[in-house]
Amino acid sequence: MLVNSVIIVLREVLEAALMIGILLAVARHVPTGRRWLLVAFVLALGGAVAYARNLATVSAMFGGVGQELLNAGMHLGVFAALVVVVFYIARRHGDVGERSRVLPAAMAVAVALAVAQEGSEVFIYVSGFLQVEEFASGVTLGSIAGAGIGFSVGVLFYYALVGQPEGRARWIAVILLAFAAANMCIQATNLLIQADWLPSAAPLWDSSALLPEDSLVGQLLYALVGYEATPSALEAGTYGIGFAFILLAAFAGWWLFPIEEAHA
Amino acid sequence: MIDRKRTARLFATACAVFAILGTTVQAAPPVYEIEIRNHLFEPDEITIPANTKVKLVVINRDPTPEEFESFELNREKVIMGGSRAIIFIGPLPPGEYPFFGEFNPDTALGKIIVSDDDAG
Repeated sequence: MLVNSVIIVLREVLEAALMIGILLAVARHVPTGRRWLLVAFVLALGGAVAYARNLATVSAMFGGVGQELLNAGMHLGVFAALVVVVFYIARRHGDVGERSRVLPAAMAVAVALAVAQEGSEVFIYVSGFLQVEEFASGVTLGSIAGAGIGFSVGVLFYYALVGQPEGRARWIAVILLAFAAANMCIQATNLLIQADWLPSAAPLWDSSALLPEDSLVGQLLYALVGYEATPSALEAGTYGIGFAFILLAAFAGWWLFPIEEAHA
Repeated sequence: MIDRKRTARLFATACAVFAILGTTVQAAPPVYEIEIRNHLFEPDEITIPANTKVKLVVINRDPTPEEFESFELNREKVIMGGSRAIIFIGPLPPGEYPFFGEFNPDTALGKIIVSDDDAG
């Protein structure tokens, strides 16, 4: 139970931790304040507990696929927020003192939705198995360890990014956020296929022999870039569109709506 | 100018065609049931026809939650204790597709066998 708990919680935490690490590093270079993170966590915690407590009801909605639809909606919400984040990061040419209000708000939305969704599953797992006496200690220790490892990886990414010069850190962050956003798109697509709202099709390729999804590297890549060993054309397509959308938002911000450094 | 009778007949034919198409397209997929008891899947092996979409109903009889998960099928769904979940799978080529309960991965193991012949 201990090892299983570590893995389950780590898998849930990793994706959100990576995104928070990247966004916090961005916040070091682009002034956003720190309050957005607090707001995001309060919203996420409330959302996670509310979602977890009502999961059975949500699941039964829409002919039994309410869970898929809500999760897909949350993924697309994170995607939309990341598009806005990238647009605002790219707009700033040099050290613009002025603070944007939209950027921290979009960051808060992205983190709140991502953490609420992953958090609800952790909450369901932990609260479900804490009541079983023989599992309680294993679940507690395992969950703490899993969450600790997950957040450590996030911290690692944060320092790796903060250590870079401002310009380079910004563009690395944009690329990493493009992968995260594309990840949201492919997961949403997959959930809509599972709900039978989008058509299912044969996989475009099968790289499970080369890199199994349940391997350590496979899991890490799943969390970071949305690795999928057997994607259908639809999944690969939405992944590509999601990635391209982020790059488009970056170029639009950089060239069309730049905020120049004041030379006063 | 406009031949009303002909228009009406055309419309009626179109309606009939769409109705027939609709029923064939929306023909309910076959349903397969799996239960979770004591962190085990029952049955832990089901055979479904190839190239057919099926509706999997997973009923969790345990008081604890479970997460139905399969890397091969790209499926993942939380099922609360004492509740049921619907998961659509397929159409799939013949083969074996393992699944497991993520919250009890040591015991909750099963597989879906997709078979060419129609034996269900």
